[in-house]
Amino acid sequence: MERVLSEITEVTSDPYAYVTGLKERTGKKVIGCFPMYVPEEIVHAAGLIPVVIWRGNESVTWGHAHVPPYDCGITRSFVDDAVRGKLNFMDGMVFHVRQCLQVGEFPLIIEKNVKPAYQKVLYLPPIYEGEAVRSFLLDDLESFKTSLEDFTGEKISDDSLKKSIEIYNENRSLLERVYEIRREKPGILKAREVMQIVWSSMLMLKEDHNELLKELIKDMEEKTVESKGDKARVILVGCLCQTLQFDILDMIEDLGMIVPDDDLYVGSRYFANKANLNGNPIEALADRYLTKTPLCPTKGVWDIHWGDEAIKKMRDNDAKGIISIRVKYCPPHTCYYPDFKSKMVEEGVPEVMIEMEHEIISLEGVKTRLQSFAETIGGV
Amino acid sequence: MDIKYKVNRLATTNDIRPMVDKHWADLRTAKERGEKVAWASGPTFIIPYAMGMKSHFMAGYAAYCGGIGAADEVLKVAEATGELSESCSYHRLHMGMAEAIKQGIQINPAALLPMPDLMVSGRLCPEMSHYAEGLYRRMNVPVVAVELPIAYAKEDVPRVKAFVYRQFKEVIIPAFEKVCGKPFDYDHLSEILTVLKKAATIRNQCWEFFKDKPSRWTLWDYGVSIAPVFYLMGKPESVTYYEKLLKELQERREKGIPAIAPDGEKYRLYWDGWIPWAFLGKFMRKLIPNGAVCICGRYPWEFFMHPERLDPEHPLESFVDAFWGEDSPRCFSNKAPKGSLELISDLIEEYSLDGMIMFSSKSCRLWNLSQPDMMDVLYKRHGVPGVVIEADMVDASMISDSQIDTRLEALFETIDGIRKR
Repeated sequence: MERVLSEITEVTSDPYAYVTGLKERTGKKVIGCFPMYVPEEIVHAAGLIPVVIWRGNESVTWGHAHVPPYDCGITRSFVDDAVRGKLNFMDGMVFHVRQCLQVGEFPLIIEKNVKPAYQKVLYLPPIYEGEAVRSFLLDDLESFKTSLEDFTGEKISDDSLKKSIEIYNENRSLLERVYEIRREKPGILKAREVMQIVWSSMLMLKEDHNELLKELIKDMEEKTVESKGDKARVILVGCLCQTLQFDILDMIEDLGMIVPDDDLYVGSRYFANKANLNGNPIEALADRYLTKTPLCPTKGVWDIHWGDEAIKKMRDNDAKGIISIRVKYCPPHTCYYPDFKSKMVEEGVPEVMIEMEHEIISLEGVKTRLQSFAETIGGV
Repeated sequence: MDIKYKVNRLATTNDIRPMVDKHWADLRTAKERGEKVAWASGPTFIIPYAMGMKSHFMAGYAAYCGGIGAADEVLKVAEATGELSESCSYHRLHMGMAEAIKQGIQINPAALLPMPDLMVSGRLCPEMSHYAEGLYRRMNVPVVAVELPIAYAKEDVPRVKAFVYRQFKEVIIPAFEKVCGKPFDYDHLSEILTVLKKAATIRNQCWEFFKDKPSRWTLWDYGVSIAPVFYLMGKPESVTYYEKLLKELQERREKGIPAIAPDGEKYRLYWDGWIPWAFLGKFMRKLIPNGAVCICGRYPWEFFMHPERLDPEHPLESFVDAFWGEDSPRCFSNKAPKGSLELISDLIEEYSLDGMIMFSSKSCRLWNLSQPDMMDVLYKRHGVPGVVIEADMVDASMISDSQIDTRLEALFETIDGIRKR
């Protein structure tokens, strides 16, 4: 386990160096896909390397001249990285501009300051009623495929796209298995390790990642862990688009809580749902996108309550409470949160919300909130 | 000696307040008369209008709340009932108002609306859907939701337009037919469009008076004059209003009367972003004494900019086309940053502007992210400097007088410096 985890730590501790090295090693071009829903499989099938754009590891500097302070962490960090030239190894970038207003403003900034060889806008509509939505989504995915074909000069066959979907589906199954084992053996992995494992999937070639996961799963299956029966189980929810500071994950565990499962983007949301391998692959990717759960406040799903979903996950995991991780200045989560909170109150579910920023001003404040939450649910 | 600048108020704009008040009063009392009520976001309210319903629309309500000084108390209700202050202030206004109704919290009665028989959530901006979702979840308000994307590239225009049209036809209209229990009234839609076309055409003639040097009116005068193409859409009074306004502007031109006394403006400015509805007076008091007049902006220029495209013979098609059409890049595609640049470039030239104020709303992330880069491009292209002002459309807690004063001062000094070169 240690070998795999050490490799994963290396990938995620300096993703810039890792992806640059990957590009050199494979001779393939890199396409940055802004989270959360760019279908990476199409990029992969085009013979390119899709990587999910990440929140950087440095304080914002030059980016301040381009982004107001009331934009979210990944927005400020990404623009900062972009204007400082830290993302010049990316040959292209893709933005789902209807996800939130902030992503919608990226194309101009990137075109002006970075000028990648390839840039594509995706519209991916919310899951609203009417056949027009699916039809527009299919057009959007076809247009994406065509634009990549134009970029590489090579056609993407259905077979190659299906092959890519198969590789991605395998990665999803393997990550699911990691989560399953974590549920069976709480504490086998630290929460930060789990996030690093998912994050590394966003950065590595999926084929390579699959091999790593197979080795990891084998080790996890063989390993025995001491019972963590005395620890209060909590479910983490939210943190759309970006990684959470690992210090906060450590803090949760240091305070006597344990995380058996999550509903985080760099977590179970990333690998949820497989694309169907039978039939037209573009339709399969569209249908995967149109799956309503895990519920996402950017997708306009109204007939399912995010709070109900989170409570179900909490109960399925025999957990005692929910920790909401809300990225500051994330409008979709911010607008949904009052209803989420009401549901928790209504159902008598202990819940605390932690606000996350790119640069944490005070970890002490976060600690105080978590400490009091841990005491409430009896984890200390 | 310093020049004492003062606004020459337009007499016609005095007609607006009674019309606006009547619109909202009619909406408030609609159910007492057995009329059905809709709420709308995006340019979808024409559909309930065509069905003879009274309709609110999201930005209009925010402007009204700001205008009558009710925004603060409605926002306080929102905060007290769980909304987070960093979310869109229009979103918070609606949630606050709805919670005030639900919980019987006393606020200015003019800010209270009847809950809708149907809400049409036109997701022009992603945040426009969130309040509809919230109302659906909390109060079981019936909602029909449609996605209204903005084309980012010319080649995307046909499919985006077709998508929007299909949703109007296949989703919105059937939902209203169901609520009203009758077929959609295309004839009434045509009648509305006929009047709207006339009103917007005359309104566009009024825009020409912004090109005069000195300008005959200010963007704030136009801000309060936007109402007729919304509240009075399709009503003869909308045409009467703009005819009267046009006449007054013509008289001003003939008599040489500028927008501000004694001799007109010293600085002609572009205004980017939302109109700060609750703070029009505040900004007026900061701009006018310096001889500064805001002339135009991409937001107030997006409403039926091309009335010639409205065709009452093909009402629905042409209504959608007027916003999302192929050669209508100066309408809704101006929200895609690249399209905006070209629009603003044209405005700077057409209206002989000296500077730019980029109004960056702290609670709305539409536009504000790319404003610094746009200023940079436009300065290099036109030599016209700009400043960013961080504030909000209606939330007073996000307004800082000293920040605004300092930045405006910097803008005026920069323009003066450029003139001395």
